[in-house]
Amino acid sequence: MSDFVYFFTFQDASIAFVVIGITLLGIGSAYVGTYSFLDKKALLGDAISHAVLPGICLGFMLAGEKNPIYIVTGAFLSGALATFLTSWLKSNTRLSDDAIIASILSIFFGFGVVLLTVIQKSGNPEMAGLNQFIFGNAIAILEEDLYIYGGLAVLIIITLSAFRKEFSMLVFNADFGKSIGYPMGAIRLIFNVLMILAVVIGIQAIGVVLMAALLIAPGAAARFWTDKLGKLLLIAGAFSAVSGIMGTFVSFVIPQMPTGPWVVVFLSLFAFISFLFAPKKGVLSRFIARRYYLKKTNQDHILKAIFHGTEKGQSSFPIEEIYQSFPYKKRETKQTIDDLIKSNLLTNNQGFIDFTTKGKSEAKRIVRLHRLWELYLNEYMNIAPDHVHDSAEKLEHILTPELEALLENRLNFPKLDPHQETIPRDNDEL
Amino acid sequence: MIINVESPILEIHDLTVSYDQSPVLWNVDLSLPAGKLIGILGPNGAGKSTLIKAIMGLVPVTGGYVKIFDRELNDVRSRISYVPQRESVDWNFPASVLDVVMMGTYGKLGLFRRPGKKEKKIAMDCLEKVGMQSFVNRQISELSGGQQQRVFIARALAQEADLYLMDEPFAGVDMATETAIFQLLQEMAAAGKTVIVVHHDIHSAMNYFDWIIMLNLHLVASGPKAEVVTEELLRKTYGGKLNLLTKVTDIIRQKDFNPLKS
Repeated sequence: MSDFVYFFTFQDASIAFVVIGITLLGIGSAYVGTYSFLDKKALLGDAISHAVLPGICLGFMLAGEKNPIYIVTGAFLSGALATFLTSWLKSNTRLSDDAIIASILSIFFGFGVVLLTVIQKSGNPEMAGLNQFIFGNAIAILEEDLYIYGGLAVLIIITLSAFRKEFSMLVFNADFGKSIGYPMGAIRLIFNVLMILAVVIGIQAIGVVLMAALLIAPGAAARFWTDKLGKLLLIAGAFSAVSGIMGTFVSFVIPQMPTGPWVVVFLSLFAFISFLFAPKKGVLSRFIARRYYLKKTNQDHILKAIFHGTEKGQSSFPIEEIYQSFPYKKRETKQTIDDLIKSNLLTNNQGFIDFTTKGKSEAKRIVRLHRLWELYLNEYMNIAPDHVHDSAEKLEHILTPELEALLENRLNFPKLDPHQETIPRDNDEL
Repeated sequence: MIINVESPILEIHDLTVSYDQSPVLWNVDLSLPAGKLIGILGPNGAGKSTLIKAIMGLVPVTGGYVKIFDRELNDVRSRISYVPQRESVDWNFPASVLDVVMMGTYGKLGLFRRPGKKEKKIAMDCLEKVGMQSFVNRQISELSGGQQQRVFIARALAQEADLYLMDEPFAGVDMATETAIFQLLQEMAAAGKTVIVVHHDIHSAMNYFDWIIMLNLHLVASGPKAEVVTEELLRKTYGGKLNLLTKVTDIIRQKDFNPLKS
């Protein structure tokens, strides 16, 4: 607990620096990543993040120490080479996208690991921290490194904001952009540069292996919550920044704990929560919507059953008789009747069920929709009267008042359905 | 039968286009008059969309050139509007109807500048012209095929161009919408705009177009409707591909290079 307070009150200036850095980095990479996710280029981010490793090692070898400028430049160049090779192979060979990306990823990463081993054998005392580039360690970042990574992150965020309309067009409809004279080739190039930079800024804090997750997961998780691009970018940025800070906290509390995997754990948590609980698109809300629909269906069926009884001249409805018309479902039926009484649609007078005025009108509405739809199927779609019942049984629960009005107009307020049964209306009894 | 015109709005000179190894358009040569509603007809795979993309510089040409308003394409882009095929974009992209229609104003707006009140006003007016004003804030993923098509046409209108090139704007559109859109296009032609439409239905083409281009890998006909729509030309267009041409295409595909590319 005291660690928590110490970390989040930022008494230690270096912790404050790291938190600011990881926040900028998270927002920047989520921002770029969301566009590439929408562009269905998620795997390219994965390839780039693995492909920067040889560049990092070469940068280290040239500088002979962990000089951030050498390392960032090396990482950028090898990421750029990988990106270029990917698109070159695509236009000059018949290899499919996934084959190209898988090859680039493994070849570059393999070469990087070879270089890493060479460096370790060389016995350079500086090389101790180089392993951190694989899984990242945010706490070990030096202040001067942070200026470079943070500065690049700010650059990414500003460029993306300035080019927002252009990048949206690139993703949605690049041909149209080209047709109005926008330099779409150059815009694509700038986007690729930003994507590589987004990977490069994360190599120290998150590590090359997991940087792809920080690019793609925030956008993918945020997509569950909104259909608007502005909100999507905000939510993705927030997920990413919060995961980044929490991952950093864990590697602060537990010594030798790499940051990258923990950031990914928290990101996965957000993605999982989004998948389960997001309104409309989440699993839970779809489940609730379905439950609600089933409940409504049960209620409609009971109202209908009683109404059909009144049509046949029956005047009293013992509750036991209703249970019998829904065999094996007594408990469910009882619950539904209770609900209907609570909604003031039915009354229970010493075991005898009857409509309220409101209930009768609702029952008529359901039966009316059922029969109107049957008639519509029969008259307009040439479906035989003995084939229309099943469809009506399902649609009677969901037809809206607007559609009801439309059906009434089309069919000219009919009196009878295809089975010669009366279509009930509220003012029948007058 | 290929009828050429004096001072054409669009001149296509000896245009050949290949995708990788396969030639898809052979030596198309035609000129088109201004202020007409022009239909491009032909069977599947005849190169109709390719012709429009080649005019817009979206596919590299193997030979020949295109002149629009007697100028190079790049000098007159602001006067041309292109409507891509509806299926060519991802309608799940998080954008509203207004966002998409506003893209029509981006050409005049230029890079970096954000659309403002003026652009929004133009977009709203154009949405009204296609009867979609009540859908302004709707997400594009929630639209039907016909509504998506109308959004694309509204975006084209927002470009305030003189020449419109539309790729299959009637694909997946119901009859009522088709009639309404055709009426709108006819009004545009009457107002002096030139509208070129890739179309697949000969019947409605006969009703609405002034000028018809028939394509089947090569140019079969180009001219006023009354003169070019004959049984013989229709058979040449729709009666299958030329056997010999298909064989030559196959030979080219088997080579390691495309001799038509210089």
